[in-house]
Amino acid sequence: MSGDLAARQAELVAALVAGGPLPPGFAPAPVEAARRALLRKRSGDVARHWPLLAAGLGADWPATFTAWADGRPTNGSLRDGWDLARKLSDQGTLPPLGAEELAAREAASHYDGHRPPRPRRMPAVARAGGAVAAQFAGRVRLLRPAPR
Amino acid sequence: MTGPAGVGIGWRPEIAGFVAGLPGLRFVEVVAETVTPAGPLPDGLAELRARGVDVVPHGVRLSLGGAEPVDPARVTHLAAVAAALDAPLVSEHIAFVRAGGLEAGHLLPLPRSREAVAAVVANVRRTQAELPVPLALEPIAALFDWPDDELDEADFLTEILDATGALLLLDVANVHANARNRGDDPTALLDRLPLERIAYAHIAGGAEHGGFYHDTHTDPVPAAVLDLVRELCQRRRPPALLLERDGHYPPAAELRAELDALAAASGHPVVT
Repeated sequence: MSGDLAARQAELVAALVAGGPLPPGFAPAPVEAARRALLRKRSGDVARHWPLLAAGLGADWPATFTAWADGRPTNGSLRDGWDLARKLSDQGTLPPLGAEELAAREAASHYDGHRPPRPRRMPAVARAGGAVAAQFAGRVRLLRPAPR
Repeated sequence: MTGPAGVGIGWRPEIAGFVAGLPGLRFVEVVAETVTPAGPLPDGLAELRARGVDVVPHGVRLSLGGAEPVDPARVTHLAAVAAALDAPLVSEHIAFVRAGGLEAGHLLPLPRSREAVAAVVANVRRTQAELPVPLALEPIAALFDWPDDELDEADFLTEILDATGALLLLDVANVHANARNRGDDPTALLDRLPLERIAYAHIAGGAEHGGFYHDTHTDPVPAAVLDLVRELCQRRRPPALLLERDGHYPPAAELRAELDALAAASGHPVVT
């Protein structure tokens, strides 16, 4: 075993965050415990970036996030929360608080789902889950709350 | 060596008000990736610097243990943060956080192999060449080991420190966690570490999850970790001690009690 540290590190990270197979020789139970711990830590990190989304889901937040994030490598907490909020919105399962947070984020920044979000320069209106938010000169205002 | 002294606490925006109100505080640590060196310092940090409180930038994303060369832009950022804070030193982990284009989102353990020692040493030297101040290296808490370790933890660490001249940031909670999870004696590791190289020590609380002790930073410091602080301080003139807390911030009285417990265990002056 020498000269292949890069490949072996890549295999291990893939097993931990991208649903890859357990590399040979590693004890399954401790690596699985680490994989679960990573998901728990990520769920807390994303909740700090998307506090209303997490609060809106309440006790369901960790399970909802973990089900979505399992096997999906992180793009950073901001984008992870954004992608999850959009998916819940598409499914019609975004809670009102999360809808308002998503609408405000969409009004403030342009995010194409692939590259990091960029602040919008022009005035914008955004909708999510029945909530409507507007941004003008960098200030975001919730025009209509999501229906409760 | 001029470095941090006494009992300190990890500075986080959520507890900035609490930290600002600690009268005897002489040092804090800030997560280096959260500071923008070109812009104004975060509210509260500038005031602490003006009071003469040392601020140590603590990197968490450099990936010194990655097989690939460390990202030069990340090194430049760390160096700029150190300069902006007029820091006495900076610290980072002996770990890797990304590989093959994927971010792990956490500190991952290295195999304790000669190849890994060489990779860390090369990255530490690249980093030291840019830094305006000394670098302290922190061993991590690991839930699993690699299958083909050639060295034990003390030898692995000592080889890296000897080859680079780096200082040691000893995380006492990690020593506890690793010993717990591997069934080892934590004091036996203390006896074999190069304690004369300690720049400061981390102290944090963790929790049991599924039969493993996780170094969460979200729980109170357990008695076993405080006992280990006493063991450390018996072996060496008490090093500076830094309380780490991330998320689930408790009421101020509980944080004060934890800082007081560190002062009591080490003989450092109380900072509260």
